[in-house]
Amino acid sequence: MDRTKILVVDDNPTIRKGLSVRLQANGYEVLFAEDAISATAALVTERPDLMILDLGLPAGDGFVVMERLQRNDRLANIPVIVLTGRELACNRDRALQAGAAAFFQKPVDDGTLLFAIRKALDVSRGELRFDE
Amino acid sequence: MTEPTRRTSELTAYLSHELRNSLACIQQFGNILIDGLAGELSGEQREYVCIMLQNASKIRKVLDSALDGTPDPV
Repeated sequence: MDRTKILVVDDNPTIRKGLSVRLQANGYEVLFAEDAISATAALVTERPDLMILDLGLPAGDGFVVMERLQRNDRLANIPVIVLTGRELACNRDRALQAGAAAFFQKPVDDGTLLFAIRKALDVSRGELRFDE
Repeated sequence: MTEPTRRTSELTAYLSHELRNSLACIQQFGNILIDGLAGELSGEQREYVCIMLQNASKIRKVLDSALDGTPDPV
């Protein structure tokens, strides 16, 4: 059985490395993108099971990536977890309205993030509803 | 929005982004070490990394409170 693929989109290489170590230790295959353009390309070519998305990105921010995702019927059901250093005000509600399954400010506890990933994957696979 | 308000808002956004990213890196790799994902630590090494993480946690609480007015994680 193929491993669950998670696309990590963050322009900070140290953040990408840290998330990669943690996610791989939990059995996930990890893909990377460092800006909005490469994130969009990776969504199309790799069709990940879930995306962890920073908001502050070069070449268009995370909201641009979510907008492109929602416009593509083949990709729109890929769950998105926003993980950002941006302020709560404005960004959390806007991200959730744009379709994010969860919103976290950095730094997030590993257990909290891993739980949100499992829940978002269960919802996208039809094993759980968002309100459960 | 007045000029001083705009500049304060930009400074807050900048501080939030830069400090939270740096803090996230410290926490991520500290936890990776504590969990043995990069090899087992000696008791003394573990104690020192725990001290580092506890202090990172204190900084996080200050940041949450100062920048967003939310002392608890979201």
